[in-house]
Amino acid sequence: MKGFLTRVTAITVKEAAHILRDPRVMIFALVLPVLLLLLFGYAISFDVDHIPLVVVDQDQTNASRNLVESFTSGDLFEIKARRSTVDQVEPLFRSGLARAALVIPEEFTRRLAGGREPSVQLLLDGSDNNTATVALGYAGVVALEVSRRQMPTSLSREGAPISAQIRTFFNPGLRSSAFIVPGLTAVILTMIATMLTALTVSREIEQGSMEQLFTTPVSRLEIVVGKVCPYFLLGLVAVLLVLTAGVAMFSVPVAGSLWLLFGVSALFLLAMFIQGLFISVATRRQALASQLAFITTMLPALLLSGFVFPIDNMPWPLQFLARALPPSYFIHAIRAVLLRGNGVEAILRDSLAILLFFGVFLLLTVRRFRRALN
Amino acid sequence: MNRPAISVDGLTRRFGRFVAVDGVSFEVSKGEIFGYLGANGAGKSTTIRMLCGLLRPSAGRAVVNGHDVVKHTWEVKRSIGYMSQKFSLYLDLTVQENLQFFAGAYGLRGQLLSQRLEHALELALLTDRRNVLTGALPGGIRQRLALASALLHQPPIVFLDEPTAGVSPDARRAFWRTIRQLAHEGTTLFVTTHTLDEAEHCHRVGLMAEGRLVALDTPAELKRRHVPGALFTLHPAGGRSKELLAKLRQLEGVLEAQPFGHRLHLRIAAERDEAWLASLLEQVGFGEVGFDRTEPTLEDVFLQVAKEGAAATEGR
Repeated sequence: MKGFLTRVTAITVKEAAHILRDPRVMIFALVLPVLLLLLFGYAISFDVDHIPLVVVDQDQTNASRNLVESFTSGDLFEIKARRSTVDQVEPLFRSGLARAALVIPEEFTRRLAGGREPSVQLLLDGSDNNTATVALGYAGVVALEVSRRQMPTSLSREGAPISAQIRTFFNPGLRSSAFIVPGLTAVILTMIATMLTALTVSREIEQGSMEQLFTTPVSRLEIVVGKVCPYFLLGLVAVLLVLTAGVAMFSVPVAGSLWLLFGVSALFLLAMFIQGLFISVATRRQALASQLAFITTMLPALLLSGFVFPIDNMPWPLQFLARALPPSYFIHAIRAVLLRGNGVEAILRDSLAILLFFGVFLLLTVRRFRRALN
Repeated sequence: MNRPAISVDGLTRRFGRFVAVDGVSFEVSKGEIFGYLGANGAGKSTTIRMLCGLLRPSAGRAVVNGHDVVKHTWEVKRSIGYMSQKFSLYLDLTVQENLQFFAGAYGLRGQLLSQRLEHALELALLTDRRNVLTGALPGGIRQRLALASALLHQPPIVFLDEPTAGVSPDARRAFWRTIRQLAHEGTTLFVTTHTLDEAEHCHRVGLMAEGRLVALDTPAELKRRHVPGALFTLHPAGGRSKELLAKLRQLEGVLEAQPFGHRLHLRIAAERDEAWLASLLEQVGFGEVGFDRTEPTLEDVFLQVAKEGAAATEGR
């Protein structure tokens, strides 16, 4: 088409001027993502440590003190109180002062010495599911350690117990930040990108400038392309900032190619921008558009992307929805590149899926545009 | 090459059951200033929007600059300029940025663009204020800039939808000077307005009422046909105007008598003159009442046409 580039450039330059004049847009696009990352990154953590522990040592011997020592030598438990009877534990749980209690009965040392199986009790506050599970696992390990040390004879008699040596790949420390930051990046980009473009068309329809534009020889496709361009550049800067912040603040490992990461992020941005534009064209009103953009991006990106809940465990209608939306593919791809160090071939399927979404919504947006005016 | 700039035949637009424009037909010739007059909701903007390719007609045909507005929308868009009261410019852009944007939208670039840009700045008298934010300019100057931006690509036909709404009288006069100059240079101008004195500037005026074109002619001819006779304004002393009005209405040779504030508007047959009116007033005992001869305005025409329309509706 003759003059396509001239007209697209005109729209891009105009849109860029709007962006540069409006400090709210710049803050929204560049400051907010990093702020959100810091906020969420520190707040959302599946790591458990410093669980408040109350110790009920009814034995009061060297052996029992050793046991307590073994429990608290790591960072996981922190002794908050000592009590003499089990009855005193529950009030502490209720008030939230303690989440776990280690109860060592009177006959602990006697049983140990007598070669009978000594037992200790670990009481857990089950209202915090995640903490309880972690504490339980840890307690098992400690108990095994201690019994091995305390009863070398009895163990050697029966032969050494099998010890499993577990090694976790790609995230050796099982730190949740390495897992969360990529997911969070997707959530933030989704939200920002859709919100940014959701307003541009509805604003012009509201103020009447879209009608003015439609009396010129500018086509709908030219408007869409021209409008996405400056936001795309802005979005790329946001991606860079978020990734840098993620790596610097949360020491997320970068195993794969940064360029690949950037490329797939760019593709994802395009898909989100076109989703925002579609909302803008379909709603025609700024207030409605921003609400809809929030609902259709934030919720799927948080809940249906595999960020928090694995998609394979969802009921099939939700699985279907999750697989229809780009965030799930993006999160999969970004984790693959960032943590596993995968190359292009591993994220090809994800990229194609995002590209397909982009194409479909570009078509829908341009088609829907005409009716948006009447 | 004497085809009309705009040719409209049976143009109709319905919104559901509401008929906004109802079988309108007219032609506008090149270089003409065509006024499209009517109350709000009479179908003026709907007509303009169909002619600009913004809205599809429900029935009928419209040809602009030789192009059918439905079949050849893109050619139509290339040959028109459009300026509306609702939106004219981006207020958060500078004068120059606005012009640059619209020039680009019309496909201008390179040297042609900078040339036309300078020309538009001159037309809007904003050459030395090109870097001012448009939102900081007063309304009248903004309208001038909006007109200049609608003319950037030198379109043969320009549509102006209520161009002087909310503009000071001074700015309005200057605006119409520009319009006349453009018409003189051969541009066709299609102007909607609901201010009747503005319509006096137009070569021809079409009157719209409830979606129908109820009258179409030059302002002079409209007045001659719909408001025949001689018009006078009477200045009766306070309190007695009602009595005078009642008396006048019963007299032979009085076509119409209407109260107009404290004064009276009186229309008498064209062959009567001031002397006849003076003796008439003497006769009914109002010899002391002063009067002036006045020219009919399009407002009189508009009221008359509305009245005729109402009578025709009742007769049916």
